[in-house]
Amino acid sequence: MEQMKLMLVDDEERFLATTSKLISRKGYHAVTAASGSEAIEKLMTENIHVVILDVKMPGMDGIETLKAIKSRFPLVEVIMLTGHATVESAVEGLKSGATDYLMKPTDIGELLQKAEEAFAKRKVLEDKIRVAQSRMVQRSAREILRDTEK
Amino acid sequence: MMILVPVIPFVIVLSIGYYYFTTSLETNTISSMKRIVEDHRQMIESFLAERKADLEFILYSYSFDELSDPETLFSVFNQLQMESNAFVDLGIFNEEGIHVNYQGPYRSQLIGKAYGEEDWFKQVIKQGYYISDIFLGYRKVPHFIIAVPREDKAAKWVIRATIDTYMFNELVEKLRIGKTGEAYILNSEGLLQTERRSGGDLMEKDSERVLGATPHEGIKTFIQKDREGEAYLYATTWLKDKKWLLVVRQEKEDAFRALRSATYLIVLIIVIGGAVITAVAFYTTNRIVRRMEQMDTEKDQLGQQLIRASRLAELGEMAAGFAHEINNPLQIMKSEQSLMAAILSDLKSKGELREGEDLAEFQDSMDQIELQIDRCAKITQAILKFGRQGESVSRDVDLSIFIPEVTSMIEKKASVHGIALREDIAEEIPPVHGDPGQLQQVLLNLLNNAIDAIIDAHGSEGGELMVQARADENGKVVISVKDNGVGISPENLKKIFTPFFTTKPVGKGTGLGLSVCYGIIDSMGGVMAVSSEKGEGTTFTIRLPAAA
Repeated sequence: MEQMKLMLVDDEERFLATTSKLISRKGYHAVTAASGSEAIEKLMTENIHVVILDVKMPGMDGIETLKAIKSRFPLVEVIMLTGHATVESAVEGLKSGATDYLMKPTDIGELLQKAEEAFAKRKVLEDKIRVAQSRMVQRSAREILRDTEK
Repeated sequence: MMILVPVIPFVIVLSIGYYYFTTSLETNTISSMKRIVEDHRQMIESFLAERKADLEFILYSYSFDELSDPETLFSVFNQLQMESNAFVDLGIFNEEGIHVNYQGPYRSQLIGKAYGEEDWFKQVIKQGYYISDIFLGYRKVPHFIIAVPREDKAAKWVIRATIDTYMFNELVEKLRIGKTGEAYILNSEGLLQTERRSGGDLMEKDSERVLGATPHEGIKTFIQKDREGEAYLYATTWLKDKKWLLVVRQEKEDAFRALRSATYLIVLIIVIGGAVITAVAFYTTNRIVRRMEQMDTEKDQLGQQLIRASRLAELGEMAAGFAHEINNPLQIMKSEQSLMAAILSDLKSKGELREGEDLAEFQDSMDQIELQIDRCAKITQAILKFGRQGESVSRDVDLSIFIPEVTSMIEKKASVHGIALREDIAEEIPPVHGDPGQLQQVLLNLLNNAIDAIIDAHGSEGGELMVQARADENGKVVISVKDNGVGISPENLKKIFTPFFTTKPVGKGTGLGLSVCYGIIDSMGGVMAVSSEKGEGTTFTIRLPAAA
């Protein structure tokens, strides 16, 4: 069973530090990124399953980062973390491919629960991909016959 | 002063009408008077002319000798009396004025008398005929005479007849116009030749000075006052053959009676009409003024509402920004607290911390921090809800189903506190358009507030809570929530929709409930209002446009 790997993206350094410590204590592995661009860099080098992404950040903001992640790493699940209690920003995030959203201040338990759900979803997806890929490899008898006739 | 403006044309119209009416009436009255005088004159003149013609007929039918014979004169006189009973007697005079023959009641006294030097005899010889004024003569009875002369080869003589003044008097006096109209004749000296009905005997001097200095032509009309100050309308004319003035007169008031009643009527109309115009003007003005005042009040209220709405919107924006900024540090605090709690429980499970009073207090403190962070979070959430209404899912809401659904949520709570919950929802109520979730939030908020207020006032007995919904005459839907709770003081009532305003104890209410409700109703195009009486209860009223 593969271990869920999380990444926290927020401009608040202290939040990252404390929350990653907490996550580690709960037995998960967490990577942190202080900006959108740093998050993209880390995604390239590390295999990360779920990203917790703050909506409001200086520079590349949450929605931009989300779009960049989704275009380059479509399998990565993203959960938006918003300071706005408004559904608007969350809805925009969901439309752009986010799996779920959390409202600040969020509880660590809630955060991990949603992350687990996202991870489970990703695993389902990965399984399907694996099945599809194996079908491609194991070609059917008819295909083999057709190929030999040529 | 302005009240006079509508009265002016009214008075002008009446005045013009009055002027033309009086003028035409006066003209009419005067011309009818003239006509009467003219007719009367002709009648009198023809009477006199006929009598003269009677005498001339005798003169030319008989010779002087024949008429000197008493037998003949008797039969002639009888015939004459058959012709007209105006004749009293008949006399024949010779050239010298000797009364040679006479037929009448005074035969013995008059026969043989000499009239040669009498004025009338001289006139008859000179003029060819004579009509006397009324005089007493030998007989001391008022009478007048007509005398005509004749001359032939044999002799020159005069026939003279006495005319009954009574008959003549009747002829003139019988004229009647209105109540006071009368006719009489004056001679050239102003002596009455006929009796005057209003007083004045024959031969008396006329009490009124109507006789002009010189005889005038045609008909003269004028108004003159008598000695008692009564004004008379006169029409006078001189007879053609005789220096007699025919006078027709009528009291002015009588002649112009119609004028007087018209005057009364016009004065009455002016008074009543003026009063009506004034009353209507006052009434109309009052109505206009009231309407304007009402409009001013409505304008003021609208202005106040707008100011309040915009102030609330600004407050909402500010509060939302503030809440958002607070959420970030809150997040960190929450994470720190969670970490501390995690570390603490780790240390405890490893046995590195000894259980004791201090540790328990520490734990309690940690819990308290968590509690307070959650409280802060609740406040910021509420603020954000108030500030931005977010995306709502609107649909038509049938209140006759919706309101009972909402009230059923608080039914239990109400019955626990002994509150009689009543609903009065009009059957034909039109649906409203809005987010049912938000509308539910508003109603629940109002109902919960009402229950709190009732509990404060009545404890758990005697509470009344009423939810009403109906359509008003402007097509708006009116929902009201009425309680008999503690009520709201006027100063609090002013601030009731202001964010963070609460009368609840610290930590019990955020002071955002009603401002959020206000914002929701506002976003639905409605208005929320409140009226309250301290100690009596409170009514919240929501006015929403009916769904199109």
